[in-house]
Amino acid sequence: MINGTQTLFNWSLRADARSIYPHVVRAVFAGFMLLAILAAWADSVGGMAPGLYFFEWLCGLNVLIISVSGISYFVSAVTEEKDSGTLALLRLAGVSPLAIVLSKSTSRLISALMLLMTQVPFTFLAITLGGVTWQQIIAAYLALAAWMCLVANVALFCSVRCQTSGRAASLATSILLLFFAIGPLLQSVAGLKGIPWISPRVVTACMELHEQQQLTSIVPRLAQIFASNSNLIMLAEQFWRGLGFGVVMFGLSVVLFNRYSEPLESNPHGSSAKVRRYTVGRCWKLPVIWKDFLFFMGGKSFLIVKSLGYVVLVGGFLWFHNLEQPNSSEWLSSDLTRTAFLTVTLLLSVELLLYSSSSLFLEVRESAIASLRMLPIQTPVILLQKIAAGVLATSPAIITLAVLWAYKPQAFLGYNDFPEMVVSWLFAISLSTHLCVLLSLYTRWAALPLAILLSVAAFPCIGGAALGLFTITETAAALNGISIGVWLGVGVNFVWMWLFVLLPIEIEIVNRWNRLSRE
Amino acid sequence: MPPTYDANTVPAISVSQLTHSFKTHQALNQVSFAVMPQTLHGFVGPNGAGKTTTLKAICTLLKPNYGEVQVFGHSVRSEAVAVRERIGFMPDHFSMYRQMTVFEYLDFFAAAYGLNLGQRDQVINDVLTLTDMDGRRNDLISGLSRGMQQRVSLARVLVHDPDLLLLDEPASGLDPRARIELMEILRELRRMGKTIFISSHILSELAELCDSVTIIDRGQVKFSGPMDALLNTDEAHPRFTLRLAQPPENAVELLQGIDGIVAAQVPEYSAAGEFDLEIDPEKDSNTILMSIIGLGIPIISFNRHRKQLNQAFMDLTTRGVRT
Repeated sequence: MINGTQTLFNWSLRADARSIYPHVVRAVFAGFMLLAILAAWADSVGGMAPGLYFFEWLCGLNVLIISVSGISYFVSAVTEEKDSGTLALLRLAGVSPLAIVLSKSTSRLISALMLLMTQVPFTFLAITLGGVTWQQIIAAYLALAAWMCLVANVALFCSVRCQTSGRAASLATSILLLFFAIGPLLQSVAGLKGIPWISPRVVTACMELHEQQQLTSIVPRLAQIFASNSNLIMLAEQFWRGLGFGVVMFGLSVVLFNRYSEPLESNPHGSSAKVRRYTVGRCWKLPVIWKDFLFFMGGKSFLIVKSLGYVVLVGGFLWFHNLEQPNSSEWLSSDLTRTAFLTVTLLLSVELLLYSSSSLFLEVRESAIASLRMLPIQTPVILLQKIAAGVLATSPAIITLAVLWAYKPQAFLGYNDFPEMVVSWLFAISLSTHLCVLLSLYTRWAALPLAILLSVAAFPCIGGAALGLFTITETAAALNGISIGVWLGVGVNFVWMWLFVLLPIEIEIVNRWNRLSRE
Repeated sequence: MPPTYDANTVPAISVSQLTHSFKTHQALNQVSFAVMPQTLHGFVGPNGAGKTTTLKAICTLLKPNYGEVQVFGHSVRSEAVAVRERIGFMPDHFSMYRQMTVFEYLDFFAAAYGLNLGQRDQVINDVLTLTDMDGRRNDLISGLSRGMQQRVSLARVLVHDPDLLLLDEPASGLDPRARIELMEILRELRRMGKTIFISSHILSELAELCDSVTIIDRGQVKFSGPMDALLNTDEAHPRFTLRLAQPPENAVELLQGIDGIVAAQVPEYSAAGEFDLEIDPEKDSNTILMSIIGLGIPIISFNRHRKQLNQAFMDLTTRGVRT
């Protein structure tokens, strides 16, 4: 077993060293650290505690990177062997499940821990900048290491459980999102104490679960570390829980390895033909919209399910408004209309990101790009039809937003920050969807997390410039007596953003698409 | 039989001085050949010879560094859309939407080529009948065997009724039965007047199927022309195989005595009564056959000795993997 483990471990480390992706991540991270130091230095001029600010910023970035790595880097530990069909060969060579899991995961964990280790000397710089102690730094890195152990092993389990990297990434993303979302959700339910129709047992259970979640999560632990100057416990409960869950997930991965490493049953002779019981109808005049909408984006049935979902969501807000203000003559208060609008916008963003990460990727996976390019339809027209399919698929969310707007426009127009929020959302979603589409043509499964990471990193720069331009346009319009200066600012920004940020990405998407068709 | 052409006939494919490099690797070096309309042209070469690169240049997917490619007189550089309307390209890998049924898949491509509903129904029925997939029209593509998926691929290529079919390794991975059936479909398509340009490794089938052939090795054309010209080349004296029913003891001497026969011998490994004859290229083989009949010995067969395509391929290409 030792030989097998060692060989695989060495091979994994070498593959990692040769791969460009981990080096790019490290280089990007070094760039972030430099930016953070610059920002801390700028803050020190204002007399703040720049060391603490720098350290908080760095820890936040670490949490983001560890979580994104969980979705993209660790999930492929075993699935990369499944994807390339070499897992069965390893098993035939007599390598045990423990050896495979241990060697494939440890090399990645070491590579990721190296990223943390290399930061430590720089973070001690925070002490000289002021506002943070060495105990806080050590405690924070221990907490981050435990969080990494947990995330890496959850991702490893997903990698063992799923047949492809894509599915493993989806499962790991769902688990992480659920873990982060469940805290506020449980807290909200726990806050409903005293409402007659909710059982006190449910409230108590939610409170306890919330407490357990908080003890395991990295976010409250870091907040605790940043807040305390003395009596800081180095190895808090979060550390042991992270380590413990990591070990349990690793054990489960080893125990269940054999069960989930069987190759999928294939049907090489087509002896039992698969027939679909329903028809999707004839192809439309715009064929790419038809194909993408029906086969890549769920089709009519999923559209109906989503429509019902949005009706239920808005119904929930109406019901909540009725509970809160039983004698109100309105259907929905301004606050709740805005909250509902933001919730639907969030869901729309998730839908758009998912579609943008899969739309071209599925063409690559089906090796269909050459066939599509051979059609007498220009590549930009094909891509525009794909966008139209995305709009059609997200129409329930768009219609819900339009209905909410039409119901109470003053809830938005009277809200001071609304134009800035629209600009920010448009920028963020345009940038991340564009990046997602582009990256989906380069990576097999990590486009979505990478696009989010790059958008988060790029947004402060682009967003800062955008908001500055927005203010200038608005002020200039006001000076010239133009009443729609706010929306003029939005328009100016969008043109600027498209010309200098989105257009180059679009050109690269078309170029990459054409290059892939030749491969 | 391939049709005859006059000097004004525009070739289906005309490749001239085609040169292309991928970074430092020269994939094609001044490749030139022509394919006449309504013929079945084989394109043969070892792995890495440049077959797929040439095919991609012909079907407009690849812009070559240098050289000119024309399809029915249209340049692939400047008239790509016109070229795409007249060709159907079947790549060497499956490019299919597996979640669609056979009918939906063909309907999608027919609609993409701008056919209206009535035309689509007609065309899909025709191509499904031709490829013998009519009974599988409502099957999901993911449930079809490799051979059937290959037929669906071929049906997809035919939906817009192209004049030229470019097929990259269409028989790779198929079992013998599926291969033979595919070759039958290709013969039928040629009878229908299509020009077929087929890249393949299965030389024996190409020899039977193709009217003309191009052999490419290490990015250079080694031979391009009619199949007969390839298989009958480089012999000073044409060779024939004669098989006699009851040859006398002195059969070799008798045969050598006939005017026009340069040499006669019994081959080392042969069936009983078989003789190798080398004849004078100036003499008519029919006259020589009449003279043999005149000997009064019953003849079973008298065939021109042809080189096998395998042998021609081995003679023209270089040993080893291209680096």
